[in-house]
Amino acid sequence: MEYPEIDAFASLNSPIHRFDPRAKMLTFTLLIFSFAFVDDLKIALYGFLFSILILLVSRLPMGFALKRIRMVFFFLFPLLLIMPLTVDGEELMNISGISVSTEGLAYASLIIIRALAAVTLAFTMLATTRFDMTMKALYALRVPGMLVQMLMFTYRYIFVIIDEFSRMWESMQCKGFRLKANYHGLSIFGNILGMLIIKSYDRTSRVYQAMVSKGYSGRPRALINFKMSTKDYVLSTCMVLIAVSVHLINWY
Amino acid sequence: MIEAVKVEGLSYSYSDGTKALEGIDLTIYKGEKVVVVGPNGAGKTTFFLHLNGTIKNPAGNITVFGRSISEMRIEERIHEVGVVFQDPDDQLFMPTVFDDVAFGPVNMGLEENEVKKRVIKALLKVGLEGFETKVPHNLSYGQKKRLALAAVLSMEPKVLVLDEPTANLDPKSRADFISLINELNERDGITTIIAMHDVNALPELANRVYVLNRRIVAEGSPRKIFSDWELLRENNLEAPDVFKLFKVLNCFGYSSDDLPLSFDEAIQILTRTIEGKDGHIHLHVHEHTHKELSDVVNSYNHHRNNGKK
Ligand SMILES: Nc1ncnc2c1ncn2[C@@H]1O[C@H](COP(=O)(O)OP(=O)(O)OP(=O)(O)O)[C@@H](O)[C@H]1O
Ligand SMILES: [Mg+2]
Repeated sequence: MEYPEIDAFASLNSPIHRFDPRAKMLTFTLLIFSFAFVDDLKIALYGFLFSILILLVSRLPMGFALKRIRMVFFFLFPLLLIMPLTVDGEELMNISGISVSTEGLAYASLIIIRALAAVTLAFTMLATTRFDMTMKALYALRVPGMLVQMLMFTYRYIFVIIDEFSRMWESMQCKGFRLKANYHGLSIFGNILGMLIIKSYDRTSRVYQAMVSKGYSGRPRALINFKMSTKDYVLSTCMVLIAVSVHLINWY
Repeated sequence: MIEAVKVEGLSYSYSDGTKALEGIDLTIYKGEKVVVVGPNGAGKTTFFLHLNGTIKNPAGNITVFGRSISEMRIEERIHEVGVVFQDPDDQLFMPTVFDDVAFGPVNMGLEENEVKKRVIKALLKVGLEGFETKVPHNLSYGQKKRLALAAVLSMEPKVLVLDEPTANLDPKSRADFISLINELNERDGITTIIAMHDVNALPELANRVYVLNRRIVAEGSPRKIFSDWELLRENNLEAPDVFKLFKVLNCFGYSSDDLPLSFDEAIQILTRTIEGKDGHIHLHVHEHTHKELSDVVNSYNHHRNNGKK
């Protein structure tokens, strides 16, 4: 079973990897929001190119990155087909009576490019930081502890649940079960999902017991020692300038 | 002797009505190695959940080094008792090995340097040094098991409670784990309380045994417990293989007062007995041997006979 490990390449070495996790988190989030609100196609394209540049600088393997980023493209691709037909505007061409509008095409491209830019940035941010560091950065940035813990446990136990599911699945297949889209197949599949939920529930109570026995009292505490260097400040300033300038260009 | 753990009149029922524990009384002294045995569903795990304050129970009193466990603050309690549960996946919940081992010490409010020192020390103890930045879900089962122990050792508890530490380990890991526990007990003076089904490993880990089956059924040295086959039968327990073999040898005329509980002990005793008998011992089959043999076999094979009756 392949695990959805986002931080598999977090131990590589690149300027993005070395960027202070807190600063990375803040500036990348700012960039993502900034690019997401650009309403000029050309500027959005520059934003996207910039995200790709960041991805290249991070030296993450391209296959690893593409596999995750292309998902977004598949999700949004239908827009490219639908919007030119539905949005009114200047006629680009006419295919047997159906008019394709320039505005629709431009608008769909804008949405897709903005989304790709945002996802590329978010992916680079998460993939260049070890997951525990991302969590610690969230703590350090005063994100509510409850939220951070929820994220942390989701990430930790998603693997255990995947294992549990594949064990159940294998044992069902060993007993001759083949999933078919009929009533029987689906009801069995429903059972296995239900069982998974019960097992997870039992596990949560055991995990909680283990936490209590190690002195957990609801207050998350973590050892955090991040240190911003000059390099981090310079890089942060550049990022913020870029995030702001894509909106200023419009005015001139 | 200093009383490490004292339990008086402890009873517990789960919310669905299952009576798990009834009137438990026991005392464990500082530095002892105690094993709790009992069939599946006997309440061993339930009992351990009381020792670390997970189950809060007004019926019955548990004191650790003279202080009631229900009155201790969490930080104090984890200084005294550390519990390692059965499934390591439940106990390793942090993103990295380091964070998992540091979890307890951080909760104790220790300083960062002290936390780091303790993590390194605990990982060294269990032989996982250099694993600090690894992700727990990528470790093997045996490594997870050792990590779960390290995560409790880092709190440096005076009493260490282990629920089935040797289950599902390969022979080498099992032997390593046993000697690690013994080392903790003998060198570091940690009182150990262990629940286990593995009777062949039990003698190495116990000075004293409690038989638990909802209530405390018996208490005594491993030898005393394993000699009482009525007791074993009633509680679905078994004696170590070596012990049974020497019972059989007794029928063939081998006479020795103390029966060995482990392989090593068997070698010692056999050597001593043979040397005491001028270099050889005499085994024989008589009329009554078969009768004695079948008595011994029957008394220890109650698991197998149950089904046939
Ligand atoms: N959460 C629970 N709710 C209800 N009943 C429970 C719960 N946990 C355990 N029990 C019941 O309490 C009894 C004691 O269980 P416990 O897990 O303590 O046994 P055990 O001695 O640890 O067994 P094993 O050797 O199989 O680990 C059993 O009858 C069990 O079914
Ligand atoms: Mg148990």
